[in-house]
Amino acid sequence: MTVVIGFEGSANKIGIGIIRDGEVLSNPRRTYITPPGQGFLPSDTARHHRAVILTVLKEALEQAGLKPADIDCVAYTKGPGMGAPLVTVALVARTVSQLWGKPLLGVNHCIGHIEMGRLITKANNPTVLYVSGGNTQVIAYSERRYRIFGETIDIAVGNCLDRFARVIKISNDPSPGYNIEQMAKKGSQYVELPYTVKGMDVSFSGILSYIEETLFSMLVEITERAMAHCGSQEVLIVGGVGCNLRLQEMMGVMCKERGAKLFATDERFCIDNGAMIAQAGWEMFRSGQVTELKDSWITQRYRTDEVEVTWRD
Amino acid sequence: MAAAGEANGGTGKLEFSLDVPFPSSREATIALRSLSPDKEPRKGGISKLITVSGSTLSVRWSADEARILRVSVNSFLDHLSLVLETMEMFGPPVAV
Repeated sequence: MTVVIGFEGSANKIGIGIIRDGEVLSNPRRTYITPPGQGFLPSDTARHHRAVILTVLKEALEQAGLKPADIDCVAYTKGPGMGAPLVTVALVARTVSQLWGKPLLGVNHCIGHIEMGRLITKANNPTVLYVSGGNTQVIAYSERRYRIFGETIDIAVGNCLDRFARVIKISNDPSPGYNIEQMAKKGSQYVELPYTVKGMDVSFSGILSYIEETLFSMLVEITERAMAHCGSQEVLIVGGVGCNLRLQEMMGVMCKERGAKLFATDERFCIDNGAMIAQAGWEMFRSGQVTELKDSWITQRYRTDEVEVTWRD
Repeated sequence: MAAAGEANGGTGKLEFSLDVPFPSSREATIALRSLSPDKEPRKGGISKLITVSGSTLSVRWSADEARILRVSVNSFLDHLSLVLETMEMFGPPVAV
């Protein structure tokens, strides 16, 4: 039996989750929500996380009904993400790891999303579309690496949607993307916008006044191309933008045409959370990885394919 | 008052030192290991050295400009206070 606690705070969500052999025992989370028209800045976000992190940590332990002695490993987000919030969370993780005498594990945030998606959906070896405010990548596993087949050449699709929401001052509660989706459901006029796919990659910064249809079609196209390239019959969508039902619907149509299966998780797990870091940490820990304190520095840039995936064949 | 350039061994740099007492050497070392891994954000012109001696954590900064020094010291104090609060809430450290 292996119990891992995971700490996540690379953007505006702070979450701490506990996993025991594939069971999510607790996964509390808080979101830093800014007024309409404003994005979130690193120092303010770090301040938000700082104010609540110890409370959330207590909640995670209480809701799981566990004491620190029951934990086997402390996992935290090494990167990528915003520097100041990443440091805030890493400080607490490093400190409790030493106080409790448990090994530490620095986890790649993107791999956290992938491993949580695999755990919850039980997809076998899917082509992964990772879409969030900070990241847009099409990923396939091959020989101990999560290979990045395609990605945004400028901004993430979620960033594009968030900036659009800011311009028209949509509320950020619970998230700008959610509110865009609700409004889009009532829309009927499709406006033709620049559609920018370059082979496996996409570009979003040219088109800041948008509608979901165009952005999502671009993502479906590059996912399909990666699937064809890998001969894959499964798609897994992870990341906050993955909550979007219209994206899931469009991806579902493409999958049906190819006879492929579509997998997605709900908002508990596609939005940044602590348990996903714990899950990736669980895989890494069980395959013998550990992070020495002196190597536990956080990093704003951390590519998904930099990690050796020692837990898969 | 020493003329500019004569103080601090003639380096012309601003220096700041901070000493933090801990209940034990073990706890001072825990704080050291939590606070030292992250690199200073890219802006050059500042360096800091964190050490433990007995049960005291010591930090020494050396900077070219007051503004850069203030930001680094401020950040460090915020981080230190979070580490202290964590140790208060979840300590004392388990027996080795």
